[in-house]
Amino acid sequence: MALTTAPGRTPRTGPVGPRPTRRGAGRARYGEGLAGYVFLSPWLIGLMGITALPMLLSLWLSFTDYDILTPLSEVRWVGLANYERMFTADPSYWHAVRVTLTFALVAVPLKLAAALGVALLLNRTWRGVGLFRGLFYLPSLLGGSVALAIVWVNMFNRDGAFNSFLALFGVEGLPWVADPDWALQTLMVLAIWQFGAPMVIFLAGLKQVPVELYEAAAVDGAGVWRRFRAVTLPMLSPVIFFNLVLETIHGFQGFTAAFVLSNGTGGPVDSTLMYTLKLYISGFTDLEMGYASAMAWVFLLAIALITAVFFSTGRFWVHYSDGGDDS
Amino acid sequence: MHPATPPTAGAPAGRNHRTLLSRRRFVRGLAAVALVAPLALGAAGCGGDDDAGDGGPVKLSIFWWGGDARAKLTEDALALYTKKHPDVTFEKTWQANQGYFDKLATLTAGGNPPDLFQIDDNYLAEYAGRSTTLDLGSYRDSGKLDVSKFPKSLLEYGVVDGKLAGVAAGENTQGLVYNKTLLTKNGLPEPTTGMSWEEHIAWAEQVAKKTKVPGTQDPSADYKALWVWLRQQGKDLYKGKELGFTVEDVTKWFELWKGARDSGATPTADVIHQGNATDITKQLVVTGKAATSWVWANQMPDLKKNTKDELGVVAYPGDPSAQWARASMYWSVFKGSKHRDTAVDVINFLNNDPEAVALLGTDRGLPSNMDLRAKVSETATDPAMKQSIQVESDLAQKFGPSPQVPIKGHSKVKSELTKAAENAQYGRATPAQAAEQFVTACKAAIA
Repeated sequence: MALTTAPGRTPRTGPVGPRPTRRGAGRARYGEGLAGYVFLSPWLIGLMGITALPMLLSLWLSFTDYDILTPLSEVRWVGLANYERMFTADPSYWHAVRVTLTFALVAVPLKLAAALGVALLLNRTWRGVGLFRGLFYLPSLLGGSVALAIVWVNMFNRDGAFNSFLALFGVEGLPWVADPDWALQTLMVLAIWQFGAPMVIFLAGLKQVPVELYEAAAVDGAGVWRRFRAVTLPMLSPVIFFNLVLETIHGFQGFTAAFVLSNGTGGPVDSTLMYTLKLYISGFTDLEMGYASAMAWVFLLAIALITAVFFSTGRFWVHYSDGGDDS
Repeated sequence: MHPATPPTAGAPAGRNHRTLLSRRRFVRGLAAVALVAPLALGAAGCGGDDDAGDGGPVKLSIFWWGGDARAKLTEDALALYTKKHPDVTFEKTWQANQGYFDKLATLTAGGNPPDLFQIDDNYLAEYAGRSTTLDLGSYRDSGKLDVSKFPKSLLEYGVVDGKLAGVAAGENTQGLVYNKTLLTKNGLPEPTTGMSWEEHIAWAEQVAKKTKVPGTQDPSADYKALWVWLRQQGKDLYKGKELGFTVEDVTKWFELWKGARDSGATPTADVIHQGNATDITKQLVVTGKAATSWVWANQMPDLKKNTKDELGVVAYPGDPSAQWARASMYWSVFKGSKHRDTAVDVINFLNNDPEAVALLGTDRGLPSNMDLRAKVSETATDPAMKQSIQVESDLAQKFGPSPQVPIKGHSKVKSELTKAAENAQYGRATPAQAAEQFVTACKAAIA
């Protein structure tokens, strides 16, 4: 934008120069606003066309029997039937809800704990620390990649690398990914292992904690644990809050690994049937896109609700160092 | 289209001003491009195809699933068509099996399906039932689509609700593939066509005891094995829009395999689970985790590529007349296609042109045209391919009538079978409970 502003034009906010007339300022602002929107337009068109419209369409479809193959003009309005079926007549829906909640409740806190723990270790200046930061960050760069999930499946097969490792100690491994009692846990370990992104954010947060506070605490005789509890945690709480919200949403959306591990079925015996996977199967395999849309909207509302709960509880434990309490 | 601020009157003149103007122009240009480019591309996407298919150049879109080898063969055959019909060119898209139907459904939903596409019996009824596929009956009757050399049952297997929804791109049948090398080395007999299910399981147990390799993959989660078995009991997978079997039937089926697991004839549940993947490279006969896999006979060459051992193939146990000439996959034409006649002509070409059929070989199953099938089998050089042709031709005399094409909801029925069978395999349900669960889920799926 700076490029288009001609020199000599009255600056909107400046220490010197006459105050522009109301009209002049209005016109300038209008012009600038228009320019802004025009520059934003590719993105705006994208947002409208690729996000907002399809979302509204899916809201409408969630009240229909749309099966993806039938033209939109011929779909039948079924009212709340999809929602009713979801809540009352589809046991595998509730199964998927349970699997997803279990996954999020276990994997998210452990992932955050791992991220914070490693961030504390790496928040020092010793030789090669950059290398370690990079190495720990690497897995989360690979993020939702299919390749990683495939590697994971092969590592945790009955005759995979992990069991070969266990065999060195004379322990006979399990068929981790092919055992309905363990498949979900294996996915959790994969999710926890990818703690790099929250770790980097924790590291940045730790750098912001004033050294004086630690020094003052040390002078007052606080030990390591006390300093962590009384200084680090409160000072870090906004960052913890941010990571918690982000990772929770992320955790609920876990799809790729479960999809790859189970060949898109949620197996063995539905043990990895995550919510998003169930949604995908309903929409694309069973060709019930109306039903899948209803599922997607319930999912959106559930995540919004959980996030709202986080925000409302946040003010009891999130401290901002600038004195603001919960803004 | 003129977003930037108009030049200000009081701007200083000179060099500085000029560079500024040109910069401004440059930025304006960028904005314009950003605005217009998507519109132009969009317009290009919408335009085109305004010819009605009679005369003038035609660009036919075609979509199939498969690997590199199939892509190469298909592209060669299509190039041959273009050579003979210079007006017709192809917009070819292909991909792996996984995700193919997602994409096909999405394309259809977007109002932009391919003119000509590959489909299988899992989805033929789904598509035909929603009037997505063109009824090819009139082309068959007029002879524009020559099916006179097709086995009758193969052609009938493409009929949904009285309409010819797809033409077989090739024929296959159920095949029990076994590890010949392993058996020979241990002096064990090979399985034969016509042995009973009990004999097969007893044989598998014997193999397991002697070789430490379980004799057979447990196919209780495999719909095609269940289907053949049901037909031998005088039942079927579907009867009209209903299930062709009862809870008792499935209970018996699950119990049969529970016995086999208990006697060690099959691997453990987790290994069976791996073998349940549709991926050919995970079939237990090639991963060495069982001596037998339940596949389609035309998959022999693909299986052979994944193992050094020699493989053999016979019919599924029981009376082989329960098996049928199955369309391994079909070619279907999109009902709204602007080039229907051309698309049908291409199907005709791929099935009946001697050169094209010779090029395609048995990649999509045995050629549907019996005369050309004979030629292809004479010239086949790949031993695995020869073997699968041999079995198919031997069985062809024993084939029973083909069942109806699986109904809407079939893909769900398949996944529910896997779930129920695995519940029994992992010991989480008795055969009766699993059967009950399966039938309930099926009824909901096809309702």
